Amino acid sequence: MPLGPPSSAIYLQNVAPGFTSTPGRTPTSVTVHPVALFSILDHYLRRNDAQDRVIGTLLGTRSENGEVEVRSAFAVLHSETAEQVAVDMEYHRTMYELHHKVNPKEVIVGWYSTGSNLNTYSALIQNFYSQETAPHQAIHLAVNTGIEKGQQAGVKAFVGSPVGVNPKPENCVFVPIPCELRFSDAERSGLDLLTSSPATPGSATFTNPASDLELLERSLQQVSDMLDRVLAYVQSVLSGEVKGDAAVGRYLMDALGPSTEDLERGEFNSHLQDTLMVSYLANLVRSQAEVSSRLALVKAS
Amino acid sequence: MAATSMAAALAASLPAPQAAPTPSAPTYEAIPASMAKVIDIEAEIPITSVQLDAMVVSKIIKHAKEAPGSSAHGLLLGLDLDGTLEVSNSFPLPHHSNDEDDKSVKSVARYQGSMLRSLKEVQADDSVVGFYQGMTLGSFFNQTLVDTQAIHQEKLRHGGIVIVHDISQTARGNASFRAFRLTRAFLDAYKKSNFSTTSLIDHRLTFSTILEEVPLKIRTNALVSSFLGTLSEASVPPAAQTNPALATSSAAIPPSFAGLNLGTANTPRNLELVVEALDNYKTEEGNLAYLQRQIAREKAKADAYVQKRKEENASRVAAGLAPLPEEDVSRLFKIPPEPSRLESLLLLGRIDAYGKSLEETASTGLVKMYAAKGNTGN
Repeated sequence: MPLGPPSSAIYLQNVAPGFTSTPGRTPTSVTVHPVALFSILDHYLRRNDAQDRVIGTLLGTRSENGEVEVRSAFAVLHSETAEQVAVDMEYHRTMYELHHKVNPKEVIVGWYSTGSNLNTYSALIQNFYSQETAPHQAIHLAVNTGIEKGQQAGVKAFVGSPVGVNPKPENCVFVPIPCELRFSDAERSGLDLLTSSPATPGSATFTNPASDLELLERSLQQVSDMLDRVLAYVQSVLSGEVKGDAAVGRYLMDALGPSTEDLERGEFNSHLQDTLMVSYLANLVRSQAEVSSRLALVKAS
Repeated sequence: MAATSMAAALAASLPAPQAAPTPSAPTYEAIPASMAKVIDIEAEIPITSVQLDAMVVSKIIKHAKEAPGSSAHGLLLGLDLDGTLEVSNSFPLPHHSNDEDDKSVKSVARYQGSMLRSLKEVQADDSVVGFYQGMTLGSFFNQTLVDTQAIHQEKLRHGGIVIVHDISQTARGNASFRAFRLTRAFLDAYKKSNFSTTSLIDHRLTFSTILEEVPLKIRTNALVSSFLGTLSEASVPPAAQTNPALATSSAAIPPSFAGLNLGTANTPRNLELVVEALDNYKTEEGNLAYLQRQIAREKAKADAYVQKRKEENASRVAAGLAPLPEEDVSRLFKIPPEPSRLESLLLLGRIDAYGKSLEETASTGLVKMYAAKGNTGN
C-alpha cells in the first residue's frame, strides 16, 4: 500500500560530469514494516517539550534490485539549536550493537525524522548517515504525524544527492522515492487486532483480544453484508433499473458460478467426519488430563 | 502533568533540611489520600488487569516471527498504575542456547543493563515488569518459564507478569496474547521446593492452578490510532451509494479475510505433539511409580526391623536381661526422599493446552465447512 502520492521525481538521474556515484545500487523503493512505524510514533510522543522533531536510525535489509526494507527503528539523542545540530554517535553505536546481537541480519539503512521540513541540518545528518551506510546510500524517512494543521499524516522516503557547483555536505537535494507499508500474515492479524474497534479520532482506543469464534463471526458477517450488496445490485440490473456493467457481470459469474457439488459430496463428508473426530479426541484428552491431575490429589488411605 | 504533581507531593514528604548542629528527627508527612492511588511505593494495590501498548504488540509479533524455532523471549517494560499494569515497551533478548554457560548468563545481564540505560536516555520507561514468550500451539508450560517467573517474583513489584504469544494462532488470523502470573499456592510450594504428593494435596495444586490468567487489553494511543485511521479508511465516492458498480475501495489496509481459510495445516503437527506429550507423561508416571515402590520397600524393611527389635526386647525383658537399645532406624535404612511431581504436573498442563488448541481449530473448521456447503445451495 503506497503511503503517499506517487511522484515523478524518481526518474531524476544525476549524470552530471564530475558526479561520483557511490558503488552499489541507488535505492529504488522502500517498504516499511509496521513495527518501525509504531516505534517512530512512540518516540515522537515521548520527546522532550523542547524538541520540535526527533530523529533516529532505521534498521533493515537491502535486496539486490535496489529495494530497501525497513524492519525496525530506534531513537537517537540529538539536539538542534539555531546555530548547530548535534547527534549522539556513541549512543547510536551502542544501540546498533545491541540490536545486532538479537538480529544479525539487520543493518543500518538510513534515518528518520518526524516533521517534513528538510533543511540544512537534514543534509548534514544525511551526510553522517551516508558515512555509516557506505558504500550504499542512506534512506531518509520523513514521517508526518499529522498533528500540525494543514499537514496530512503520511510517510515520505528520500535519497540524498549532491547539488550545486561544488559538492559540499550541506548542499543536497532530497529525491523522493516510492514508499509503501508491507506486512506478513502474522503482523496482519496483529494490525487487525489494533484496528478492530472503531477509533474515535483524538482518543486512545482499547481492544480486547477475541477468541477464534468471535473473529470468524465478524468476518462471516462482513461477507454476508457484501453478498447482500451484490444481490441488491444484481436485482436492480435484472429489473432494468440500472444498466449492468459487463465486466462486473462476468466477474460475478466467475466467482459465484461454478458449482462444486460433485467435489463436495465425495470429500466433504469424510472431512466432516475427520473434523468431528478431532474435536471429540481433543475433548477426551482434556478430560483425561483433568481426571489424572485430580487423582494425584486423592490421598491413598 | 501527573509528573509535576507527583514530584511536588514527594518533595513535600521529604524531611526539611536542618542547619542546626544537632539535627532533629526528620518529619515525614503522609502521602495525601488523593495521591495514594498514584504513588504506590509499597506495591500495595494488586494488579487486576494488564494493558499492552500497540507498539509492544507489533514488536512481540515481529520477534516471534523471526526467531529460530519457538525460542523468542524478551523483557517487558512499563509501570503499574492503580491496579492496571501498563506495558509500554519491550525488547527482545538474544537467544542463548546453552544456559549452563556462565559467560552467556553474564552477557545477557550486560545486554539487559545497557539496553535499559539507553532507553532511559530517550525518556522511555525503564522498569522491568515481566517477560514475554513466544510459543506454538499452546506449549508454554515448561520448567524454564516457571523458573524465570519465580526468580522475577522476588525482584519485581507484584511479581512478574508473563505474556504468552501464540505464533501459530497468529498466523491463522487471530493475534493471541495472554497474560499470566504465578498463583500464591504454587509460590508457597515452590519456595519449599517440595512437590511431593502430600504437599500437592495441601496446596490443592493441579496444572490449572499453577498460573492464573490476568485480563488483558490492548491500547492504541491517539496518535497511532489516528495514523492507522488515515491509512485504513476506505474512501467511498458518493456515487457509489446508488450504483455499487462504481464503488472502489482504496484503503491502504484493506480488510482481510484470512480467517476464512480452512486452515488444517497445523492439525497433524498438533496431534503429533499431543501424542509426544502423552508418551512423556507415561514415562514420567512410570518413574514416579518406580520410586514410590522403592520407598515403600525401604519403609517396609525399616518397619520390620523395628518390629523385630521390639519382640527381641520383649523376650529379653521376660528372660530378665537388659534390653537392647533401639537403634536409630534412619541410619541403617536409607529411605529415599519423596519424588517431585512438578514435571508430571507441567506435562499434564501441556497436554491440556494442546488439546485446547486442537478443539479451537476443530470448532472453527466445522463452522467454515458448513458455510462452504451453504454456497452450493444444499
